[in-house]
Amino acid sequence: MRFQTAVCAVAFLGALGFAPSLPAQTASNSEEAKNQKAGLTSGGKPDLSGLWDPDFRGPEGMRLNTWDSSDPFAAHPERAPMTPWAAEKFKDVRPPFGAMQTFDNTNDPVQRYCDPPGIPRIYMYPWTIQFIQTPTTVYILYEYTKVWRAVAMNSEHSKDPDSTWMGESVGKYEGDTLVIDTIGFNDKTWLDQTGHPHSEALHVIERFRHLDHERLELSVTIDDPKAYTKTFSATKLYKLSPGPVGETLCAYSEMKDFQEKVVDKTQTAPAK
Amino acid sequence: MKRKLLIVLTACACLAMFSGIVLAHHGVAGYDLTKTITLHGTVAKFDWSNPHVVVFVDAKNDSGEMQQWTIEFAAPIHMVRAGWTKNAMKAGDEITIDTHPSRNGASVGISSTITFILKVVVNGQALPGRSD
Repeated sequence: MRFQTAVCAVAFLGALGFAPSLPAQTASNSEEAKNQKAGLTSGGKPDLSGLWDPDFRGPEGMRLNTWDSSDPFAAHPERAPMTPWAAEKFKDVRPPFGAMQTFDNTNDPVQRYCDPPGIPRIYMYPWTIQFIQTPTTVYILYEYTKVWRAVAMNSEHSKDPDSTWMGESVGKYEGDTLVIDTIGFNDKTWLDQTGHPHSEALHVIERFRHLDHERLELSVTIDDPKAYTKTFSATKLYKLSPGPVGETLCAYSEMKDFQEKVVDKTQTAPAK
Repeated sequence: MKRKLLIVLTACACLAMFSGIVLAHHGVAGYDLTKTITLHGTVAKFDWSNPHVVVFVDAKNDSGEMQQWTIEFAAPIHMVRAGWTKNAMKAGDEITIDTHPSRNGASVGISSTITFILKVVVNGQALPGRSD
């Protein structure tokens, strides 16, 4: 019995370590194949084409509601490293997720007014994103609320950018990663689904890279010295999506109708 | 070996259950996800629009009185992804529908989010479902 086991072991190890070598491939073929698998173009730049679904399932796919990865389930949103300014703003939020979640008289700007979710909150909605990459600009198209951004590649920020809902973005490729740097935000959006505020000093860094051909990793870093005493970040996964993509605009009339016909009924005691 | 497997499976199941409670989805703050009721009635209205598809169902309650239920589903494109269309049902259709009811006892329920679709049968045909 021991002899047979030993033979099996040797044979198995042999199969692992001493497999007959593959027929010689040309350098460019194998490089191309490797790049395709990794989601890189032949120029070595990340190829972000395709339709990307946020991954909501599995151990890595839990729904992300906060960028503070020290509180992944948003069970303690009050523990985010807020400055007194931010903590004051935060105490009155009535958000859709996290420990303080409520639909009773919400003051979530998206739910109440169909305000743009903004960057980076938009990534927390379960809708697709897609990229259009040109040499000078990367466009990101967001299915949720059907907005887009233009990221100026290899550019500097303007000296005094406007304060806008989605900020001013510049980007570059660092190896296999698209890095986007955004400033010039107004302070009208929430950072996330739990109501964390931000100021006009918000500076967001997004990093997109392939984990493999079918998975994209987004890493978001929040840097807002007026609202937070330190930077913090979280990652989320995207998977190649079969689609289709639909229209999910936030139309105020539809949102108001839904609030009145459905949501409000769940919040107040029903008339007997 | 079997005992170890059983322990692991039980642990996974417990974790999954716990995760489900902690990771509340949109719109479920007002609903009791641990409870499922079945309604038999007629489609009063099928509202195929954002932010959520809504089905209004006329059904008799236990006392035999007609009640109108407001049932929330996921957004139209998410229902399309699961195989529904805007023609899945229409006013007047016979419907049997499972739903998680509103916590406050109102005749409101949720039958679908991005991750699940409870059982819906229209004129004897089951519509595509989805489970977590």
